[in-house]
Parts: sequence; C-alpha cells; structure tokens
Amino acid sequence: MLRVDQATVHFKARDGSTVHALDSVSLDIGDGELTVALGASGCGKSTLLSAMAGFLPLSSGAITLNGRPVTGPGRDRGVVFQKDSLLPWKSVEQNVALGLKLAGLGWREQKEKTSQLLGSVGLQDFAQSPPYELSGGMRQRVGLARALATDPEILLMDEPFGALDSLTREHMQLLLIDVWHKTGKKVFFITHSIDEALLLATRVIVMSPRPGRITHQFDLNFVRAVAHGANPRSVKTSSQYLHMRELLRDLIHSTEHPLERLA
Amino acid sequence: MNPANPLVGAALVHLDPPLDLKLEQPQIKTVKPREFGVGERSTLTISLLTVLLLGLLWWTVTERQWVGRVFLPSPAEVLRLAIDIFSEGYANATLLEHLLASLSRILSGALIAVALGIPLGLLAGLSPWVKGVLDAPVEFYWPLPPLAYLPLMIIWLGIGEMSKITLLALAMFAPVFLSAQAGVRSLPVERVQAALSLGATRWQLLREVVFPSALPEILTGIRIAVGVGWSTLVAAELIASTKGIGYMIMSASHFLATDAVFVGIAWIAICAFGFSWGIRSLERLLVPWKGKS
Repeated sequence: MLRVDQATVHFKARDGSTVHALDSVSLDIGDGELTVALGASGCGKSTLLSAMAGFLPLSSGAITLNGRPVTGPGRDRGVVFQKDSLLPWKSVEQNVALGLKLAGLGWREQKEKTSQLLGSVGLQDFAQSPPYELSGGMRQRVGLARALATDPEILLMDEPFGALDSLTREHMQLLLIDVWHKTGKKVFFITHSIDEALLLATRVIVMSPRPGRITHQFDLNFVRAVAHGANPRSVKTSSQYLHMRELLRDLIHSTEHPLERLA
Repeated sequence: MNPANPLVGAALVHLDPPLDLKLEQPQIKTVKPREFGVGERSTLTISLLTVLLLGLLWWTVTERQWVGRVFLPSPAEVLRLAIDIFSEGYANATLLEHLLASLSRILSGALIAVALGIPLGLLAGLSPWVKGVLDAPVEFYWPLPPLAYLPLMIIWLGIGEMSKITLLALAMFAPVFLSAQAGVRSLPVERVQAALSLGATRWQLLREVVFPSALPEILTGIRIAVGVGWSTLVAAELIASTKGIGYMIMSASHFLATDAVFVGIAWIAICAFGFSWGIRSLERLLVPWKGKS
C-alpha cells in the first residue's frame, strides 16, 4: 500500500510569498487500485505525484510504500511522464531495457523481458526503431513499457495521454486498463479530463487549488466493468456514468470558477 | 430517372464493356508551399557561379595589369608556385613537413582542449562549485584574442612547441567547455527523473543520460573550437617556428612573395574545410537524433 499521510508542500514563490501547493493531503492506494487525481492545473496533483515519486521533498507529513518511507526516486515506483522522456539515441528496445540495464541484468535477460513487454503494448515490430520515428501514442506506450520493466509496486502517471489526439487517447486508455488488469499494479494517474477519470478510476480524487487539497473522493466501478469485457461505449452512455459525469463537472467548476456560479 | 435532377440517375449507368476514353491528360504543374527565408532551397548553383565569377575577376584584373604583381599575382602564377611548393617545398622544408607541423599542433591543442573541456564543462553544468570556480577565469580570458596573451605564453613557456600548443589548447578549450556546460543546462529534467526512478546511480546518470544528451552541443563546440584553432595557428606559428603553414605564410610575407602567401592561405582553407567536414560527418554518425527530439 502506498500511504500519503498529511502531506504538505510549501514553495517559495519568486516574489517571496509562500505557495501552498499541497495542504495536508492524505490518501491510501491499495493493491490493484487505480486512483485518478482530477483537477485543474495548479491544484497540486502534479506536486503530489512528484512527492510520491521522490522528486520533491515534503514540507511536512510522510509518504510510505509498504511501510517504508519514500525518501527519493527508486525503481519500486515507475513513472510515466507527459512529455516523452525517452532517450533519442537508444532504440525503442534499449529504452524499455534501460531500467534492467541500470539494475545490472545480463543482455539475454534484458532481451527476453523487453520483447515480452513490447508485445504487451503492441510494439514488437518497432523494437529497433528510434523513438523520434514513432507517433506520440507509440512513444507513450514505450514509456509505459519502460516503467513496467523494473516491475514496480506502483505506476505513477502524470497526464500521460494529455498531449495525444482524442482517438489515440481512447486506445491508450483501453491499453492501460488491459495492462492494469493483467498485472494488478497499483496506479496513480493524473488527468484533467473528467471522462478519462471516470473510465479509468477505481477511485477518483477531486482536487482544488490554493491551497492544493483533496475536496472529494468517489469509488467507481466502470473500469472493472470494461476490464471484464464490457463495451466502453455502452459504459460511457450508461445512466450511472452520465450521472457521475455531471456530478464531477459541477464539483470541478464550483472549485475552479467561482464566478461562473454567479452568472 | 429523377426528372428534377437528371444527373442523379446518370451516376447509376454502367457500361459493359466500359467506355475507353483516351482523354489527353492535362499538364498539371506541381506546387510547393511558399517558404520564408532560404528554407530548403539549394544555393549550390549560385555559390558555384559566385566562385567562378570571382575567379574570372581575379584573372581579368591580373591579365589587364590593373594592379602590380606584388599586390596580386595571377591565378596561373599561384598555381605554378603551388605545384613548385608541392614538389620542392618552401622555406627549408617540404610541404608535407609544413602541413604535418601545423596539423600536429592543431590536433594536440584540440586533444587537450577536448580532454579537459568536456569533463570540466559537464561538471560545471552539474556542480555549482565547479561552475563558480571556473566561470570567472574562462569568462575573463575567452573573449581575448590569442595574440594578446601570446607574449605571456612565450615568457612563461619559452619559444618551443610547448607555448604554441598551450596557446592553441587555451583558445580551443573555452568553446568546448562552454558548449558542454550548455549541453547539461538544456537537458530535459524528465530524462533525469526517468533515469532516477529506474534506479540510476549518479555515475550511471552521467554516463547514460547527461553525456549523450550533451553530445550534440559538445560536437558543435568542437567544430567552433577547431575553427578558432586554425585562426590562432598563424599567430602561434609566429613564434620562432621553422615549420608550419603559418610560418610559411609569415616567411613569404617577409619577401613580399604574395603568390606563396596565396598558396599558404589555400592550404589552410583546405585543411579547415576538411576538419569541418569531418566533424559534420561525425555528427551525422553519432547524433542522428539532433533536432528531432
């Protein structure tokens, strides 16, 4: 279990004032849970992910993974970035194998594990391509495979599909559901798309800015239905889904644009 | 057939066999999007024409004897002397000896500059201490023309090879150092974070991510450094040399042998062009991803 306990992050802004990026946020992500953080930019969701990944120290509070405190980045937490962070001088295969190489695994083991991972994200035919010859969606699949290679406890995904066109995005969402269902990994996923949150989450947390905090949490089941073979389109047109969607929309707009409510 | 619109029905008519209409294909010209600036258009023809025109101008000026031979020898004279120098040497050394002397100085200087510039530049990009210590001296001497501190080199290191190679190494160090530092600065933070969360140690991070990321900028720095090296070479070879292309030009100038000066300049141009081409090939080979990510 990944436990976030009263995590608070204060930045010093350039003008000397203090920015309360994260204010006493508590959150548990259990095994097999896909937790999605939903909110506008500036609500602290990326800050929360950075702290979980160990890129950012906390001002106060604690983050633990299976009881061990998170003190820095480590291979027990795989990160998938929004901007592709692939290394352009390495082939797709070498990029996916990076974590295994850094861990000192032999060439044969790297090859074996890598080809299996590339198969699971549908990129077996592109193993030798350089990343810059791939489309945006394919690059994100490489990023996902790379993060999975070290068999992390949890996947931390920072708006991984945010820069993709909507068709590719839907494909990627289904791919993620498939990977999540097959591996049973914990996932923490950031988005500002309500539909993405509804489709992917077993739990959605709604965050609001200034100070960044969790305002609402909902447990959802749409992702389990899709994972067990339900048609995503009929899920998305079901009355529960549409109801939740209106609810989340209201919540987000009430926290983000207080003026809009007056109109 | 739809009486209101006869064309609706017309589309349904099938001819068997189909009518073979041998219509003349109209000539359609291909188009390109308008470009701004030079874009991708090749300027090779224009450049070649310019060279040809300049050569013609040179030939005309000397043929009509508009200026004296001492100021501008004719193309034929220069070519004849070039062949002479090639077969018999110039100023007590063969052409090959002059070339090797210059090339070995440039290469030694470049080797020292690269061997020091890359690691120190990378460190300066990573550590505030190294940057703090090295920034001031490099920023101070880098804009100076090497001729200005040449006398210091002679006083400190004598008139042998040592002072020449040191001068060249100093002149070439700064571009390599600064480009390696810039290469680290332009490194996307996501690449570092990705490697760290995959379990990279500091050394692995340097080898697997930082150095390759900085390589395109480093190679650009080396190309600039070699250019600086050639322009410093003539200055370095002023110091009591007995061999070298720079020395050849200097000694020719003492005898107002303008044609020999031309030959020396041509050789420097050939060498510099060769180096530049070599480094560009190296870039294509080592950093094919440059500008694509």
